[in-house]
Amino acid sequence: MEYLLHILVITGIYAILTVSLNLVVGYTGLASLGHAAFSCVGAYVSALLALQFGLSPWLGLLIGACVAGLLGIIIGLPSIRLKGDYLALATFGLGVIVYSITKNWVSVTRGPMGIPGIPGFVIFGYHLSDIWSYLILVAIFTLLTFFIIGRVVNSPFGRILRGIREDEIATLAMGKNVDSHKILVFIIGAIFAGIAGGLYAHYITFIDPSSFTLMESITILLMVVFGGMGSIAGSFMGAVVLVIFPELLRFLGMPSSIAAPLRQMIYGLLLIILMLKRPQGILGKYRWR
Amino acid sequence: MLNQVILNAIIAGSIYALVALGFTIIYRTVKFFHFAHGVVYTAGAYIAYTLAISLGVNIVISFLLASVLAGAIGIVIDRVVYAPLRREKAPDLVFLIASFGVFIFIQNLIQLLYGAQILTLRTGPVKEGHHFLGAVITDIQLLIMIVAVVITITLWLFIRKTKLGKAIRAVSDDTIGASAVGIYPERTILITFAIGSALAGVAGILVSLETNLEPTMGLNAILKGIIASIIGGVGSIPGAICGAFLLGLAENFGIWKISAGWKDAIAFVILILFLLFRPGGIFGIKTRKEMP
Repeated sequence: MEYLLHILVITGIYAILTVSLNLVVGYTGLASLGHAAFSCVGAYVSALLALQFGLSPWLGLLIGACVAGLLGIIIGLPSIRLKGDYLALATFGLGVIVYSITKNWVSVTRGPMGIPGIPGFVIFGYHLSDIWSYLILVAIFTLLTFFIIGRVVNSPFGRILRGIREDEIATLAMGKNVDSHKILVFIIGAIFAGIAGGLYAHYITFIDPSSFTLMESITILLMVVFGGMGSIAGSFMGAVVLVIFPELLRFLGMPSSIAAPLRQMIYGLLLIILMLKRPQGILGKYRWR
Repeated sequence: MLNQVILNAIIAGSIYALVALGFTIIYRTVKFFHFAHGVVYTAGAYIAYTLAISLGVNIVISFLLASVLAGAIGIVIDRVVYAPLRREKAPDLVFLIASFGVFIFIQNLIQLLYGAQILTLRTGPVKEGHHFLGAVITDIQLLIMIVAVVITITLWLFIRKTKLGKAIRAVSDDTIGASAVGIYPERTILITFAIGSALAGVAGILVSLETNLEPTMGLNAILKGIIASIIGGVGSIPGAICGAFLLGLAENFGIWKISAGWKDAIAFVILILFLLFRPGGIFGIKTRKEMP
């Protein structure tokens, strides 16, 4: 039961990551392969503030999300000049740089040793320590994220984003500032990913660079593509199916030396099949361009 | 010390050049990032390991056979994944993501079969290197350099002088035009994948002679290969070679002056600077396709 609840918490965190990446990739059509970098920054900033300065995790979560948003500006900047796979490569590269920093800046991040003993959340003197309260907390954040991003994409702002995806030049001709919208959408995506990272850090209480690798970014992208490009419900479904499904392998009694690569093989195969048969994803309406 | 750093840069550059060369000739004909090129490199090394160590085949024969089989893997990837996408005229990003899928699938297949631990192709004790201008070079490093030079010259002559090479260049420049004069584009693409993937296999085998084999070795190789070819100018063969050596130099100076841990970060900083300020690379031909 404990284990089942743990999976649900992780699903919620992935759902936040997926829907925030979907805003960038699915709705705006910008190929971003560095999403794990934002959650990495959110997690590290929040964890370090809590441990080094004794700051409340709530404040840490907020500051972590803001720092992730700042990183969103940096990662978003190439999107002004680059398109398609070149943008994918640049964002990928920035992801590698962030990963390298967490791994090599040992005096601050403790490098590959990771940061243990991250304190949990406190509400009015009540320490959130049992898994039920975390489930409720993550569920609230997930619902909030879906609500906000749902509102964003259905607003005039969201219409401009879809305009950028469908025809950038036409959007420009309508008098919309394409560049600032691209940066803004990266910032919004980064803030939510930063929150997801912070939640993860305070829930697991231990973080190390290996939780935020390139593979993690690709996994989040797979969830977006699987659920559907530019589909809020799809993002939820993508996260749920792709987090829970591989866990079934464990129930079949496979040792983790087989289950871990097998899970990745399934992810890889899914990416290939999706691209061949339904590149826009299961619930997606929009094509890649 | 400086001589040793330059020598290390040349050796690293030779390996990057082999990966970048294969990547480049494939990119020239199909015009998308064949990311799974990196996993062909891993597969080449593991096939060589299976033949030479597990089955005890003669080392030269097993290396040649492994390179050929790496070429075959390239063909299979193209036929199974890319050819159907090409028929649907899928956008570049779809190719890239499908390529990630292939990469992840094969890398984990290798991990499932061989385990995650480090293996080695080396037999016998490590020999002391030769001293040369104040730097130390081992036999294997010498071999890497010689193979890289020989392959580069052969490939250059093949592309420039033979009929098949001409066909490859024709398809790279204009697929429809090439088919109008009686060249089968699909067959030419197949040959390109075979040659490019065999080069990746050779690079993988050489690296595992020098260091070790592990299932994740392909990621680093393809990233460096792509960075090298972008620095040099995507699709340009001299560019890929130049880019590879520049990258090798930058990385090894970084290791010397800063620390080894920052090697990848340095490579990607260079990549992003080039992408932002000179996306055509050093030798880049500024066509509409190449310019992002």
